[in-house]
Amino acid sequence: MLKKIHIENFRAFRKFDLEFRDGLNLIVGDNDAGKTSLLEAIHLALTSRFRGRPFAYDLSPHLVNQGAAKSYIADVAANGVTAHPPVVLIDLFFEDSDEFADLKGENNHCKENAPGLRIRAAFDPRYSAEYQSFITSDAPVSLVPTEYFEFEWLSFAGNAVSGRSVPVNASLIDASALRLHAGADYYLQKTIDEQLDAADRVELSRVYRSLREIFSKDEAIAAINEKLGETQKEVTDKELSLSIDVSQGASWESSIVPHLNELPLQFIGGGGQSMLKILLALYRNLAKSHVVLIEEPENHQSPASLNILVEKIRERCDGRQVFISTHSSFVLNKLGLDNLALLGEGNPFRLTELDADVLDYFKKLPGYDTLRVVLADKIILVEGPSDELVVQRAYFDRHKKRPIEDGVDVISVRGLSTPRFLAIAAPLGKTVHAVVDNDGKAIADVEARFAAFDQHAQIHVHVSDPTDGKTLEPQLLKANGRDVLNQIFGKGFASDEDLEAFMADHKTTCALGILEAKEAVKMPPYIEAAVG
Amino acid sequence: MAENLAIIAAAGSLKTETVIERALKDPGKRVLITTYTRENLAQIIRRIEGRVGVVPANVSVMTWFSFLISQAVRPYQCAVLDRIGFARGLNFKGKHQKFAKKEEAERYFFDSNRDIYRDGVSDFACIADARAGGSVIGRLEQRFDHIYIDEVQDLVGYDLEFLDLLFKSKIAVTVVGDPRQHTFSTNTSMKNKKYQGVGFLDWLKERSSSCDYEERSTSARCSQEICDFASMIFPEFDPLVSTRESSYGQDGIHIVAQNNLESYVAKYRPKVLRHRRNVNTCGLEAINIGVSKGCTYDRVLIFPTKPMRTFIEDGDPGKLKAPEKLYVAATRACYSVGFVI
Repeated sequence: MLKKIHIENFRAFRKFDLEFRDGLNLIVGDNDAGKTSLLEAIHLALTSRFRGRPFAYDLSPHLVNQGAAKSYIADVAANGVTAHPPVVLIDLFFEDSDEFADLKGENNHCKENAPGLRIRAAFDPRYSAEYQSFITSDAPVSLVPTEYFEFEWLSFAGNAVSGRSVPVNASLIDASALRLHAGADYYLQKTIDEQLDAADRVELSRVYRSLREIFSKDEAIAAINEKLGETQKEVTDKELSLSIDVSQGASWESSIVPHLNELPLQFIGGGGQSMLKILLALYRNLAKSHVVLIEEPENHQSPASLNILVEKIRERCDGRQVFISTHSSFVLNKLGLDNLALLGEGNPFRLTELDADVLDYFKKLPGYDTLRVVLADKIILVEGPSDELVVQRAYFDRHKKRPIEDGVDVISVRGLSTPRFLAIAAPLGKTVHAVVDNDGKAIADVEARFAAFDQHAQIHVHVSDPTDGKTLEPQLLKANGRDVLNQIFGKGFASDEDLEAFMADHKTTCALGILEAKEAVKMPPYIEAAVG
Repeated sequence: MAENLAIIAAAGSLKTETVIERALKDPGKRVLITTYTRENLAQIIRRIEGRVGVVPANVSVMTWFSFLISQAVRPYQCAVLDRIGFARGLNFKGKHQKFAKKEEAERYFFDSNRDIYRDGVSDFACIADARAGGSVIGRLEQRFDHIYIDEVQDLVGYDLEFLDLLFKSKIAVTVVGDPRQHTFSTNTSMKNKKYQGVGFLDWLKERSSSCDYEERSTSARCSQEICDFASMIFPEFDPLVSTRESSYGQDGIHIVAQNNLESYVAKYRPKVLRHRRNVNTCGLEAINIGVSKGCTYDRVLIFPTKPMRTFIEDGDPGKLKAPEKLYVAATRACYSVGFVI
């Protein structure tokens, strides 16, 4: 259905491209990587609405990408009126089928002959005079002047579109924020409204109107109104009474609230509310194609109810396209790595772009580790749990803080799988320090295993010096000497060989000893470099 | 190539009715109905609504210009202009830039408001299709199963080139019209000049291998006397045959003397038609013949031009300057046509 998206200067994106999969698309990324922006962009292109309101009315400077805004402001400072205000652009491509032929044409950023929808907000030349005086006025320009922008919602055929002419229905559910106020919120209302047919809606309005009559004819209300009429005569000669508002602006949507087990929806717990919203959207029966956008379904859910929810999401993906942003390794694991798109600082990245054996490895791994690579600001990869503990200590000694406080995640990987983790981290633009044993080989030979990452400046591989020992334990012994380590471990080994043998047999115990040692610990140079 | 059909039919032979009936027949087919004038388009929509309430979702109805601009010019403007989002609407009044070369497409085809001149629309559409490797037609093939063109005699110039592209496509095309009623043209291009009016029959004959031809000469509207008169105007067509059962007295062609005018009008209450606005209609309320196209009246009264008067006297159509106008005027009436002499 939806094939790909191209975004320029909208919210988190300066320039962004992502291809979609049929069925399920999982969006994972760090905070601020643009998960919400992506779902909003898809919904905006399909409906021209942003957060429930027509985008044309809500075109605020804050919707323009901050980087684009900054370079525009700098451009104005340098070049004045000749600076070009940024253009906000979303091109949403559909599959090339007869169903979407009316949207087909070459009016998209890459001039591809495809069906699709385009949102474009750009400076409107009709405001040239106003814009000039705005730029040349004394007040410095600090925002993109979106009040001089025009807004277009077009098909790739170049024709204006209306909600009715879009052959795809979109449901956006943000489970992280519950926007229920007076009555049901816009999205929920729309979901319910679209499940009713014309006859249902007419009947609902009729009953709602008749409520007004019943209300006013009630004896108690009649008495109250009579009393009001009497007392108000001194103020106005018109009749004052209490009644239910059934005018156009106050149709049933604002007063009739969905109830669950007789509780109005806004009094139900967050978990129940968002579960209901997601399920209502997924169970809509529509004549049109259907795109469902769900933001962080794990919010407010207990593990048990999340399990049910994810199961239902998976069942209902058939015949519709579902986009889910998530922070939850559980959701990720259950819904499958194949469907995953990772958003980072560089281009978005799909795990399916990885080599088959790397993908296979991560499919077997619990999703948690994969997520850690994606979500961390900086990563230190170590080979095994004892290395992890020692690196924690080294980091603390250097920075007087634990790594996690700096957003540095120390991830212990099994055996020789460090390159596999780098294969994910590299395209995401993550800064990684990998701590690697030499295992008795020359440094150059070990580094050759990482040759594929040579061109990634943010990836650093630190290999231990083979002359100081094959693994971490002899390296520590070499750095600190037998006496210091004997004291730390509370032992009295008479020879280096015995101490080394003990350490090799009790790796974790020794690493814990190092971590908690009151004495100063000297770190081998390659570990010092990794935490530097 | 799909099955294409041209129905050339006399006035009052229910042409538009045929289009609507066929277009509504199969709800599984995606259908376009297009015609040049907005008046006729509005009438098509009214008649569809009269039959089935609303225009069904599988049926699109648009004027020839909206069709060309929204379905060909805008989608594939990039192939001609090398930029997107440029083309806006239609410039109906002006003509393409005489001093620009066609290669300077923006200047040649568009005015300063980025509206395309009417005489370049179909030309542009053909160029776009050629440059975009057949994408215009490819897109239409995805979009429509059948295209109906009503009042096809209005199409001239490059319209016919575009019609050729449609004939060669997978889309079934049905064109319906009457060259005898060629009172409007979509544009004033010199291209294909010889195929205008009655010449359209020659164009169709040259395409007999790609488009079937059907001529209908029965008129459900006009009485036999009116049919006989109208047939004299265009001897190259089969004579018209009325299907009206019987007529009640005083039918046929009347010559009305100026001094009898008042009593004639009082008696018959005819619709008064004139060639142009500046014709003296002796104070009677009148409409131009061109405007009356597509309408039906019980009786009409025509203020004839000099060549029309000559024709009424000698029956020789060779001297008529605008035979189609006389044909349209006479065939508006069901029962009688009066000429003020």
